[in-house]
Amino acid sequence: MNILRTEHLKKTFPEATSGQDSCVLDDINISIEQGETYGIIGRSGAGKSTLVRCINFLERPTGGEVYFEGKAMSALPKAGLYKTRQSMGMIFQQFNLLEQRTALKNVRYPMEIAGWSKKDADARAEELLELVNMGDKKKSYPSQLSGGQRQRVAIARAIALNPKVLLCDEATSALDPETTKGVLDLLNEINRKYGITIVIITHEMSVIEYICDRVAILDDSRVVEEGPVLSILKNPQSETGKSFVKPEFRRIRG
Amino acid sequence: MDNFISFFEHVNENTLPMLWEGTLATIYITFLSSLLAYVAGLPLGVLLVVTSKVGVHPIVWLNKLLGFIVNILRSVPFLILLIAVLPLTRAIIGTTIGTKATVVPLFIASFPFVARLVEASLIEVNEGVIEAAWSMGSTPFQIIYKVLIPEALPSLINGAAIAVTTILSYSAMSGIVGGGGLGDIAIRYGYHRYETDIMFLTVIELVVIVQIIQAIGERWAKGSDKRLKLVAGRGLFGLGRAPWAGE
Ligand SMILES: Nc1ncnc2c1ncn2[C@@H]1O[C@H](COP(=O)(O)OP(=O)(O)O)[C@@H](O)[C@H]1O
Ligand SMILES: [Mg+2]
Repeated sequence: MNILRTEHLKKTFPEATSGQDSCVLDDINISIEQGETYGIIGRSGAGKSTLVRCINFLERPTGGEVYFEGKAMSALPKAGLYKTRQSMGMIFQQFNLLEQRTALKNVRYPMEIAGWSKKDADARAEELLELVNMGDKKKSYPSQLSGGQRQRVAIARAIALNPKVLLCDEATSALDPETTKGVLDLLNEINRKYGITIVIITHEMSVIEYICDRVAILDDSRVVEEGPVLSILKNPQSETGKSFVKPEFRRIRG
Repeated sequence: MDNFISFFEHVNENTLPMLWEGTLATIYITFLSSLLAYVAGLPLGVLLVVTSKVGVHPIVWLNKLLGFIVNILRSVPFLILLIAVLPLTRAIIGTTIGTKATVVPLFIASFPFVARLVEASLIEVNEGVIEAAWSMGSTPFQIIYKVLIPEALPSLINGAAIAVTTILSYSAMSGIVGGGGLGDIAIRYGYHRYETDIMFLTVIELVVIVQIIQAIGERWAKGSDKRLKLVAGRGLFGLGRAPWAGE
C-alpha cells in the first residue's frame, strides 16, 4: 500500500519581473510505499525542496493532488491539515531548532501543541533524546550543540508524535561525512524500529546509495527517472541519472 | 570655586524635595505610559507581522490599514500632538495639566512607535524555525505565542528599553503644556525664571535615569538570549526566561 502519492503535481511561482509564471514542478507522479526509504535526488534548483514542501502542504500545489494514506490533502480543512502534519515529521538542512529553547524543550514542542500534559510531554521528550543519543544534552541550547547533535535533536522532535512519514530535506548536507553517516544510521534505525516511512531529499548519490530503497531523479521540474536504487546505480537511463552515478558524486561510503 | 557656587545660586533647601517629587512623577508617568503603550502596541506589532503578505496569517487589507494608521500617528511631531490632543485629555482625565493628564498624549504618541519596534523584533525570527513549526502542525496562534514571541524575546527587551527611554524624553517635553515631572520643573525654572542651575540639575537627573534604564534593558536582553554561548542559561535576576516558558 502506498502511503504517499502525488498525481500530476504542479507548482508554479509568479515571476515578479517577467510577469510570466515560472514552473518549478511539472507533472510529478510518484508513489511512496509504507515503510520504505524513498530518495529524491536532483541538482540545486531542480525543485526538490518545493516538492517536499508540497507534500505536507507548506506550499500549496498549483495543480494536481497529493494523497496521504489515500486521502487528498487539498480537500482537508485548515484544522485537518494541521492535524495531518502531526503525522508527517520533517527535518531540514539548517536544523531549524528553536534557538531560545533547550534540547528537551525543543523535543517537547510538538507534544505541547498537540495538547499533552507537561508530565507526559517531558517524559516522552527525555525518552526521545535517549533514543537519538542526546540524553546528556537535554539542558543544552542549540547554540551549544554541534551540527550533528542539532540534527539529532531535530530528528527526536520530528518523530515525537509517532508520525507515519519523516520528510528529510537535505538533512545531512550541512554535515561532514562521518556525522552524515551517523545521522543516516539513525534514520535507518528509526525506519526499522518504528516502521516510519522516510523520504530523503538530497543532491548526493552516496546518501541515496547508503540508505534508500527506491529513488526518483528530479531534473528541471520533472521526474526523469524512477526505480530501485540498485538498478539505477547499475544502469541509469537518463543523462541526469548517468551523471549522478559517476564516482565524483560520491562523498561517503558504507 | 566662587563661580561654581554662584552658578547654583537658586539651589536651596526646597530644591531636593522638589527634584525628588519631580523624579517620582516622571517615573510614574513614564512607566504608566510605557505599560499602556505596550498593552496596545504589542498586539498591534504582532498583527503587523502576522497579517503581512509573508506573515503566518496574511490579511493584506488589514495589514495595509494598520500600517497606514501607525504611519499617520508616527508622522505627527510630538509637540503638535501634545497640543492637538488637549481636548481629548480633558474629556478623559477632566484636566489637561498634571501628571495623569500627561499620560494621554504620551500613550497616543508611543503605542505606534512600540508597534513598529515589536514588528522589527518579530520580523527577525528565523524563517526556517517558523517553517519547522508549521511542519509540526502548529496553528497560526501557536506560532505567535510559542515561536515568534519567545524567539524574539531578547530583541523585544532591547526594544522595550528604547521605548521606555523615548517615552521618558517625551514626558519631559510635555512639561511645556503643564505635564508634571522633571520636564515641568525644567521648563518652569529654567525657561520661565531663568534659573539655569535648576534646569541643569533636572537634565543631569534625566540623563542618569536614561542610562540606568538602558543598562538594565541591555543586560536583561543579553542574559535572556540563548543564542550567545557564554551566557546561555542565565538571565538578569532570573528575569531572562519568558514567564510562560516554565521551569
Ligand atoms: N517561494 C518561491 N517563490 C519563487 N520562486 C521559488 C520559490 N521557492 C522556490 N522557488 C524557485 O524554484 C526553483 C526550485 O527551488 P527549490 O525547490 O528550492 O530547489 P532545490 O531544493 O532542488 O534546490 C528555484 O529556481 C527557486 O528559485
Ligand atoms: Mg532545497
